[in-house]
Parts: sequence; C-alpha cells; structure tokens
Amino acid sequence: MFNKLIADSLSRSPWLYHINTGSCNGCDIELVACLTPRYDAERFGFKLAGSPRHADIVVVSGPITSQSKDRLIRTLEQVPRPFCVVSLGSCPRSGNVFKGSYSVEGPLEKYIHVDVSVAGCTPKPEAIIEGLYQAARILKEKRLAIQQERKEAD
Amino acid sequence: MELILKALGTLFSVLIYPGFLFVSAVGLLLAGFDRKVLARMQKRVGPPLLQPAYDFFKLLGKETLVPSRANKAVFLAAPVIGTASLAVMMLFLPIFGRAPLSLRADLIVILYLLTIPAVALILGGSASGSPFAGIGISREMVVMMAYELPLILVFLAVARKTGGSELCFSLERIVAWQAEHGPLLFHWAMIPAALAMLFVIPAEVGTQPFDAAEAETEICEGPLIEYSGAPLGLFKLNTAIKMFLMTALFCTLFLGGSGVTVTLGPIWLGAALSALLNTLILLALCLAVTLLCMTLVHAVTARLKIEHLFRFYWTVVAGLALISLILVWLGL
Repeated sequence: MFNKLIADSLSRSPWLYHINTGSCNGCDIELVACLTPRYDAERFGFKLAGSPRHADIVVVSGPITSQSKDRLIRTLEQVPRPFCVVSLGSCPRSGNVFKGSYSVEGPLEKYIHVDVSVAGCTPKPEAIIEGLYQAARILKEKRLAIQQERKEAD
Repeated sequence: MELILKALGTLFSVLIYPGFLFVSAVGLLLAGFDRKVLARMQKRVGPPLLQPAYDFFKLLGKETLVPSRANKAVFLAAPVIGTASLAVMMLFLPIFGRAPLSLRADLIVILYLLTIPAVALILGGSASGSPFAGIGISREMVVMMAYELPLILVFLAVARKTGGSELCFSLERIVAWQAEHGPLLFHWAMIPAALAMLFVIPAEVGTQPFDAAEAETEICEGPLIEYSGAPLGLFKLNTAIKMFLMTALFCTLFLGGSGVTVTLGPIWLGAALSALLNTLILLALCLAVTLLCMTLVHAVTARLKIEHLFRFYWTVVAGLALISLILVWLGL
C-alpha cells in the first residue's frame, strides 16, 4: 500500500528541471507561460526546480549545440531515478531550421531515451501541459517497474 | 509495570500525538492551505490541498544521491536532527491546558529547539560542498540572528507580563494566567509584541519575503541544492512542521486560555472529547494566523535582500518588541 502511495504521489507531484541547449528562447518562454496564472500547471503539482537533483521531469529545449552537449550529459547524470525526459519543440527532435549546421549535434535521442516529445515551433502551452502530464504518468510506471525489479531481486 | 506504562505513554506522545505523526500531518495540511489560498489570491486554481503530502511521499520514492565531495554522515543526519527536535518541541506546547512535557523554563528550551532545525540546515548545506549552499548557509545564519533578537524580546515581555514581579518561563503557567486574565493579545501593552511575533513567524519558517536563504530563483534553494530523495523530503517536512509549530506558539503565547471542557458521560470520554475540540480550535487559530502572516504577506510582497531583511528585523521588529517590553516593565 505504501508503495502504491509513493507511485501515485510521483504522478501527482512532478518537478520540472529545464535545460536550454541552444534554444532560441521561444520554447523557454512558453514553458514558463504554462506556470503563469493563465494556464496554471501547478494544478497538477508541476513546479520549476532549480537543481537537477530535485527534478522528476527534465525538459530539454534547443537543438543541442556542441558547446552544450557535454553539459547536457553531465546534468542528466545528476538526476535521481526515476525521472523522465521531455523534448520541447522541434529542435531537440530533429534540429529544425538549425539542422546540418556545423555546431549542432542533435537530435536528443542520440544521447538519452526521450519519454515524451512535444513538437511545434513553438508548441502551444496547452500542448506542453499535455506532454508534461503524460510524462508524469510515465514516471509512475517507471517507479512501479523499479519496485517490480526489487521484488524479483529479493 | 508502572514504569513500562509511563515509558509507553512518553513514546506515544513523542511519536504519535502530539508528536511526530500529528505535527507532520497537520503541518503538511497547513502548507497545503497556504499554497491553495495563495493560488486563489493570484486568481489561479492552485494545487490540491494535499499537494505538500504528495511532494513528501514522492521524494521518499526517489533515489538519494550523495555528492562525492560531501561528508556523507553529516549530510544524511542533518534533516533527521531537524525533524526530531521539531517533534520534541511540540511536547512543550500546551493545547489549552496541560502539555505532555513541562518544565519551569519551557520558553528557553523552545528557543534552543527552534534553533536546531536552522542549524541542521546549515550543517547539511555546508556538508554538501556546493558553492550555492555556501551562499545559502551564510544567509541562513544572518536570518537566524535577525529574528532571534526580536523573538527573545517577545519572550521576555510575555514572561514579565505573566510572571508579575518575576519572569515566568513556563508555558503552562502562561496559559493558566491567560485563562484567568484573558488572552495576552487583548492587553494593549502586548499588542506591539504580538505584531513582532507575527513578523518573526515567516522569517523562522522561511516564506517568501524573508526567504533569502533559500531563494529559489537566484541560488536554487541554497542549502538544499544537493539534496535529493528522502532527505530533501524531510527538509520540506521540517518547513511544513515549523509552519504549524510557530503559529501554535503564537496561539499559546497570545491567544491562550482554558479552552473548552466537555463534561459528558464517563470521565475519559469527556477528556477525549475536550482534547479533540481544543485541538480543532487550535488548528483553526493556526490556520488564521498562517493566512494572515504568511500567505497574505507572500502574495503582496517580493523577496527582501539579506541586508534589508537584517535591518528590518533589528530596527522595526525588535523595536516593536522592545516597546512592549518597556511598557510591561513599567507595569502596564
């Protein structure tokens, strides 16, 4: 029962950590707009966290420039499990208009498994909230999977 | 046999009522009210009432990472020390009547017990080895010094008022005095001290205008930056418990009284019912104080710089407390 409570809480209280890997700032503004009174993502328990160690959902925006690649990987290593990765906008998914540039090392899939990908340039706040909400569901499944693993190990 | 029963009783009061379990549940609920009402003030729907509880249980389910540069033992022990001292502090607060633990100098013990969670935060932050935490703990120390002076002055004023010619540091006697002469808030000489205490509460808890130590937007929660999983959850729980304890302390000092006594059926039933009723009344008062001095202030102000915060507390707030102390010393 306690395990169920924890898994349930995971999907109700996802804290976001936002990494900008060379984004044009459009997606970043829209992500912050989700937390404003107009869209109020705090209804679902979303909160922006300042440290990757507090994060449950890592939101990555931008096409992954060569300058930001190492920092991205290092940051993702510091996030406690279970966590989800959400790619925000078209850039981390395909490179968007920056595709083929000498300094772009995307897509994000090359470095880490992406759980939810919100497309658009920029995506609407409604779409972002829906994507984040799905990611929160996936968090719960991941936690249940970890519990299953532990049970089998015993 | 009697000794075992007594030990069991103490264990019950430390762990369940009015100790750890009770203060955690009530603190998390109070924090939920704070977030919900704040959201309504900003014309948002806001998170569910149980959001802080969800946050806490979620953090229990996360992996606990210890940074390689951290001192592992201190890093992990710090939040536990803080929670333990807060759970013990509740035993000294009488809920309209008797407290499970009562000494001659409750107020002095409480002053020390209130310092311990802040010191635990400083210990944990400095053990984590992060520069953000370094800035955070230096600010936390300044905040501590800032609110401690007015708090001591308030305690002295209350002690002198209720003790007559001597100082009365026993909370039970303070409550008994108020049952006889009416709540201290309604003695005009004590009103400045009550105002000062209302300002001390948000600084002690660390809510918005006075949260320079944990400023989320500039130093990423300062001392908490390297924490994850259960220890972080405990620190968040500490904040919630402090919210309840500080408001309960205000209610005890300024809104105390004999409470309600139910005489119904057998003695134990009447006692249980009156304890329940008194607890509910205390919770309602705590909620009102929380909304007044934390939520409302949070909604209408922006964060103070650390030097402004310090100046504000040592001039305005300490001044208010001093006015009361002088008035009381003059016998008013």
